[in-house]
Amino acid sequence: MQNLLKILLRYSNFLVFIILEVAAFLLFSFNNAYPRSSILSTANNVIAWQNEQISEIKAYFHLRSENEQLARENAELRNQICSMNSDQHAAPIHYTSAKVIQMTTDEMHNYLTINRGKKDGIVRGQGVRNEEGVVGIVRTVGRNYSVVLPLINTNTNLSCRFTKNDYIGTLQWDGKDSRFALLEDVAAHMVVNPGDTIVTSGLSPVFPEGIPVGIVENSVLKEGDSYHTIRVRLNTNFKRLKYVEIVQNAHQTELEELQDGLD
Amino acid sequence: MDWTKQIGRYILVMLLQVFLFNQLQLWGACHPYIYILCLLMMPITLPHSADMIIGAVVGLIMDIFCNSLGVHTASCILLMFIRPYLIGGLVSDKDRLNEQISLRTLGMEAMVKYVIILVLIHHLMVFLLAAWSWHHIGFVLLETLVSGLITSFVIIGYNALSYK
Repeated sequence: MQNLLKILLRYSNFLVFIILEVAAFLLFSFNNAYPRSSILSTANNVIAWQNEQISEIKAYFHLRSENEQLARENAELRNQICSMNSDQHAAPIHYTSAKVIQMTTDEMHNYLTINRGKKDGIVRGQGVRNEEGVVGIVRTVGRNYSVVLPLINTNTNLSCRFTKNDYIGTLQWDGKDSRFALLEDVAAHMVVNPGDTIVTSGLSPVFPEGIPVGIVENSVLKEGDSYHTIRVRLNTNFKRLKYVEIVQNAHQTELEELQDGLD
Repeated sequence: MDWTKQIGRYILVMLLQVFLFNQLQLWGACHPYIYILCLLMMPITLPHSADMIIGAVVGLIMDIFCNSLGVHTASCILLMFIRPYLIGGLVSDKDRLNEQISLRTLGMEAMVKYVIILVLIHHLMVFLLAAWSWHHIGFVLLETLVSGLITSFVIIGYNALSYK
C-alpha cells in the first residue's frame, strides 16, 4: 500500500497530465459529435461581440463593393417577388436576412457566425443562402447569434441535382480550395459536361428546390470506376461573404419528424 | 512571481491574437498562435500540475474564440507538460529562472532553441487535431512549419524588444 502511494506520488505530475489530456479529448470528441454548446463557441454573446467589432472595422474597407452587392440583391429580390406572385403553390418559406460577423475559409472545418439567433426564430438545421447560391446549414443557435456550417466544411453534405436531367448527387468539400467542391455518387453512365449547372435537389426540407449551388468545372472518369469524380465551381464566393438569408421552412419540423419516424 | 504583470501580458497577447493574428489569411497555411507567448515566458515557480492547469485554461479560452473546442486545450496542456523537462535539459543553473523565462535569464542560444521546439510541438498538435486525419499530413507539416516559424519570430522579437 505504502509502495503504491509512493509510486502515485512520484508520478503525480504525469497522472495530472493524463487526466487533463483525457478531459481535453473528451471536449474535442463531444464537440465533433454532438450539437455544439452555444456557450463554448462563437455563438457566445461576448465572443460574438468581439467578432462584430472586427467586422465593423473591416466593413469600412468594403463599402463600395457592398453597395454594388446590395443593388444586385435588390434586383434578385424583385425577381423573386415576380415569380412568387405567379406560383400559388410556393412552399411556406420565410427568408430572414443576417450579417456575417465572423468566418474562416482556409481551414478544414470552417465556420461562420451570423448575427441572428433564437430570438429571431433561428433553429438548428435551417438552410442559409445568399443571392449567389447556397451558403450552408445552421449548426448552433445562441440567443442573439448562430454558428453556420458552410459548404466549405469537410463535415457538410448537400443533396444536389443536375438541372439538365434531374440526376441526383451529393456535394462534399475536400478541404482544399474554398472555390471548389466535389460532387459524388454520380454513376458512370451519365454524361457530365463542364458547364452543367448544379442546384439544390429539394429532397430535404432544409433548402427548397432549385437554389444555385455551382457549375461543373471538370469531371474525371477513370477506367473501371463506377462513379464520376466531379469538381464543381461553387457559385457562392466565401472569401467575401457579407450578408446571408436564412431559409425558414414552416413545415421543416413536421417533415423531419415524418422522415425520422420511418427508420 | 508578479501576477499582475503575467495577467496583463496575457490580456495584451490575447488581444493581439484575436484582433490581429486570427484575421491573417495568407495563402491558407499561416495561422500563427502567438498567445502561447505568455505560457512560454511564465516563470517555473509553481508546481508542475498547477502549470498544466493554467495551460488548460489558456487553451480553453483560445478554443472558444476559434470554435475548436479541445484542440488548443490539449495542445497547451502538452506544452506545459514538456516545458520543465526541456528547461532542465537546456539550463543547468535553474535558480536564475525564478523571476521569469526570457532572453536575459536564458541567453540567446538556449532561448531560441526553447521557443522553437515548444512552438513547433504546440502548432503540430493543433494542426493535427484540427485536420483529424492523416490524409493531409503534408499540408499539416507545411502549416506547422510556416506558422511555427512566424510565431517563434514574434515571441523572440518580443523578448528582444523588452530586453533589459
